[in-house]
Amino acid sequence: MKGKARKALVVGGGMAGLEAALKIGQAGHEVILVEKEANLGGTALLLSSTFPKWQDPLEKLNLKLEQLKKLPAVEVYTNTEISSCTPNGSGYSLTLRNNLTGEETGVEAQAAVLATGFDYFDARKYGEYGYGTYPGVMISIEFEEMLREWKKGLKREKAPGAVAFIKCVGSRDRIKGYPYCSKICCMYTARQAGMFKELFPQASCYIFYMDYRAAGKDYEEFVRSVMEEKEVRYVRGRPAKVLPYGGKLMVRSEDTLMGVPIEVEVDLVVLAAAAVPKKETLELAKSFAAATNQHGFLEPVDGFTAKAGTRVFFAGGCGFPTDSAGAQQQGAAAAAEVIALFNQD
Amino acid sequence: MSFQVGSIDRTFRDELEMACNVDLDQCWECGKCTGGCTTAHNMDYTPRKIIQLIRIGAVKTLMSCNTPWVCVSCRLCVDRCPAGIDIPRIMDYLREKSLAIKDHGPGVDDIILFHKLLLEEVYKRGRVSETALALKFNMQTGQYFKDAGLGQKLLRKGKISPFSSKVRDLNKVRSFFKQEPDRREV
Repeated sequence: MKGKARKALVVGGGMAGLEAALKIGQAGHEVILVEKEANLGGTALLLSSTFPKWQDPLEKLNLKLEQLKKLPAVEVYTNTEISSCTPNGSGYSLTLRNNLTGEETGVEAQAAVLATGFDYFDARKYGEYGYGTYPGVMISIEFEEMLREWKKGLKREKAPGAVAFIKCVGSRDRIKGYPYCSKICCMYTARQAGMFKELFPQASCYIFYMDYRAAGKDYEEFVRSVMEEKEVRYVRGRPAKVLPYGGKLMVRSEDTLMGVPIEVEVDLVVLAAAAVPKKETLELAKSFAAATNQHGFLEPVDGFTAKAGTRVFFAGGCGFPTDSAGAQQQGAAAAAEVIALFNQD
Repeated sequence: MSFQVGSIDRTFRDELEMACNVDLDQCWECGKCTGGCTTAHNMDYTPRKIIQLIRIGAVKTLMSCNTPWVCVSCRLCVDRCPAGIDIPRIMDYLREKSLAIKDHGPGVDDIILFHKLLLEEVYKRGRVSETALALKFNMQTGQYFKDAGLGQKLLRKGKISPFSSKVRDLNKVRSFFKQEPDRREV
């Protein structure tokens, strides 16, 4: 069957899914790209900037979307979810459901790439930080929306005078959260704080950290530039309490490098909530018979990097939280494995 | 001389971990215990530092510092600790161990005296009479006129009483002491 065009299903139109769909399409195979939301782009659509270069994430995204348009063999279904999946020996028989119209479409695919992204830990489990109770406490992805508005010049008069970022909210917590490090929070927190100080140089900005993890090309330099050039204050300690304080918020912590309890008054507290697998991913993993780890992240099998089952592959945050660049690399890797599989069929 | 990390004695730590059912390797040194601690500002070593002192086997410092005696076992640290380390249990253990020391220095000795007097009160009446306790403590520490003005005010407002009553079933309270006769001393 060598040389015969075959069809792959890609679930999720974020950075990982887009890259996988593009590469499989460019290799001459048909692709069905399914996206739950109205637009392709996933998390990249929500971000105010990229890192380690301060760029608009939409620039790269639009490049990808343009390339995708040139591939007539890639069919894009937005507002669509997988309503059923039956393995049929040489692939999967699927039903796609449009969430707006309720319309169902039956399709066949010889391989699937799951690229459904990740979700955020429910920060309300940390009663001591008051998320859901104090209006000034939010999670990072909510703060990202404020950054995007400020960047456009909107609502700047409402900008806070001081912001505290708290990392490891749900990550590296064996009791209330997860033992793993969510990996992306150190970098996006540095980016958010840097962006905030770029927009409002007069404001104060504190990042409470246990460690800052900046292992990547230009990552360390990026974080150092946020400290040195944007003058974001890094405080080593995990805050114990956020409490209302005369219309503002008070963060209590220990400065563990000095060994003293400290307090800081801020207007806004941004929680870097742990990245967790989506519930939908767990259901999909079951119906595609894809391997997952104890937390529910997709897991590679048989020495592959992106293969989670017989004809099912994965990329991006559904395997483990990753930044846009990582998602793109994994998308390309998943595509390579799908193409290799098709070539062997 | 620099601290010799290679020659750390684990005996004290191992015994403590066993007795308190804790694993100190799980500590991230994040300081969440200390940030939330209600009395950390009065401690000479914060709860996080106590864990580190145990890890480096600094038994002498642990036995003479005021931290275990300042800790009020409110358990906020346990609620916050991402590693679930039972710090109040450790403080309890340190208190027990450090009682063998005769002279902790004035700050700590006074606290220990207060603990003793309080437990004596409980043994005697089944409850604590603040007036008697404050008087005894101030007398024994030579602070004869401390709280005199405040005491009068409280007395006038009926907040404290010169008479102290006993609980109905004193033996029931005393039975707690009988279970652990060692503590009778404390």
